Amino acid sequence: MTSPSPAYVEGATVLSQERLTDDVYRLTVATTTGGTPGQFYMVRAWDREPLLARPISIHSMDEDTVSFLYQVRGWGTDLLARLDEGGEVALTGPLGHGFRTAELHGKIAIVTGGIGIAPMFCLARTLPAGDVTVIAGFKSTPYAVAQLLNVGVDVRVATEDGCDGTRGFCTEIFDPHAYDTVVTCGPMPMMARVAHLCAEAGVACQASLEAHMACGVGACLVCSCPTVLGNQRVCADGPVFDATEVVWNA
Amino acid sequence: MLETTLCGVILKNPVIAASGTFGFGAEYSDFFDVGRLGGICTKGLTLSPREGNSGLRVWETPAGMMNSVGLQNPGIPVFLERELPRMRTLGTAIIANVAGGDLEEYVEGVRLLSNADGVDIVELNISCPNVHEGGMAFGVNSDVAAGVVTAVRRVCSKPLMVKLSPNAEDITAMAIACEQAGADAVSLVNTFKALAVDIHARKPVFDNVTAGLSGPCIKPIALRMVWEVARAVHIPVVGIGGISTWQDAVEFIMAGTTAVQVGTATFIKPTAMLDIIDGLERYCANEHLTSLATVRNILGTEAPLP
Repeated sequence: MTSPSPAYVEGATVLSQERLTDDVYRLTVATTTGGTPGQFYMVRAWDREPLLARPISIHSMDEDTVSFLYQVRGWGTDLLARLDEGGEVALTGPLGHGFRTAELHGKIAIVTGGIGIAPMFCLARTLPAGDVTVIAGFKSTPYAVAQLLNVGVDVRVATEDGCDGTRGFCTEIFDPHAYDTVVTCGPMPMMARVAHLCAEAGVACQASLEAHMACGVGACLVCSCPTVLGNQRVCADGPVFDATEVVWNA
Repeated sequence: MLETTLCGVILKNPVIAASGTFGFGAEYSDFFDVGRLGGICTKGLTLSPREGNSGLRVWETPAGMMNSVGLQNPGIPVFLERELPRMRTLGTAIIANVAGGDLEEYVEGVRLLSNADGVDIVELNISCPNVHEGGMAFGVNSDVAAGVVTAVRRVCSKPLMVKLSPNAEDITAMAIACEQAGADAVSLVNTFKALAVDIHARKPVFDNVTAGLSGPCIKPIALRMVWEVARAVHIPVVGIGGISTWQDAVEFIMAGTTAVQVGTATFIKPTAMLDIIDGLERYCANEHLTSLATVRNILGTEAPLP
């Protein structure tokens, strides 16, 4: 799947804003800029402040819309959550290198922590139904699970407070030996654990990293991540990396 | 109308991408024709490759941002082999920003860049606040700065522009010292040395403790420094510091700058520099100016020194 050229678009119209939990929202905007699973956009819903746009992965897309699943974490995401239908955002994207879907084969596990589930709906949709298991961990109430079930994906949930699924971390219900390839996205310690388990089992794993960014296009070098190849740019060299290349304990 | 001559180099317009904010130019080619820019300053280059600083590298502030990149770059030989040929196809002036850990690295770096076909201007970076050796260590004291400028001048056959730090002991004295040591131009300001604290972790946000502050929040201070320097030296001054709009650019030009560099604004909007160029064209047309030189340094001649 080749990625379309990125563009800067002002005035993309908000088609819907859905509140999924206390602090998780799904924003759908009208844009034809598309992308591939695992790519992201720099999103702005304000004029001058805050200064920087926010990098948010593509949750789902079609020919004329892109959706973002995001958690309110601070100033920028709080402003995003205040957008209503008919509002406008500025988008730069699609950016970065997404999941290498051609390398995903056999039984595929998608292991996510919290909002790390965001890019997995559009990924799962492109994979053969029946071969994909999503192992999703949440602090509490799960979100974005029903739509995965709708596309024929097996979903297993772990919650830290035990309110749904298995009590505990998603890494406790993930056995890499049961899969041929693995994809992961979530907090760094959780992905480090997944990467470690996969390396021990000899199973290929792709990890989608998160980072604070400024430019989003590979120019400013503020989002670098230590890898065995040296510091790499999460925005332009990633955000998806081979898990064996990332220096997890840096 | 906007054509500008800087140290003998003809720029299409006075709007230049600031070092460290525009990569090597290709990163923004998807978003606009970067050939429309007056010039591009490369990421700060050192003789040997550098991995840059560890830990978090960016922190947002009111009307600004702090960065702690620490001169991550592929090294000058790799730049010359891989990046410069590509930059030369972009159709804009190429300003090679060069830093070093010690005097020898500065001299050898400048020599290599100055000898390279396609480098129009060498920008000597004695103002990076994010490295322990070199960088700003050469840009705080005027005598130390004069020493490095004198040394690189001997090996530099291209126009030499010195990028000054606002953290200098006395930025006017610094600019005069660079001029006397042979600089063809000065550019100012680099980022302000700044601090942010993670109150939950009870430690600095950055591994390097301090970091460089840029963006609209520094503009009034940068403008004051530019104005002071412009009236003290006879070489061209290039203004840098939070310039985000064409009006900001006109302010700097009125304070005496020949050109401006734009950095953080590009992160806010990838095409910010095109908006500034278009705005300057409209401004000249509306004001019936044949050249921005008409309003350049208007403050320098009229405003009394404090």
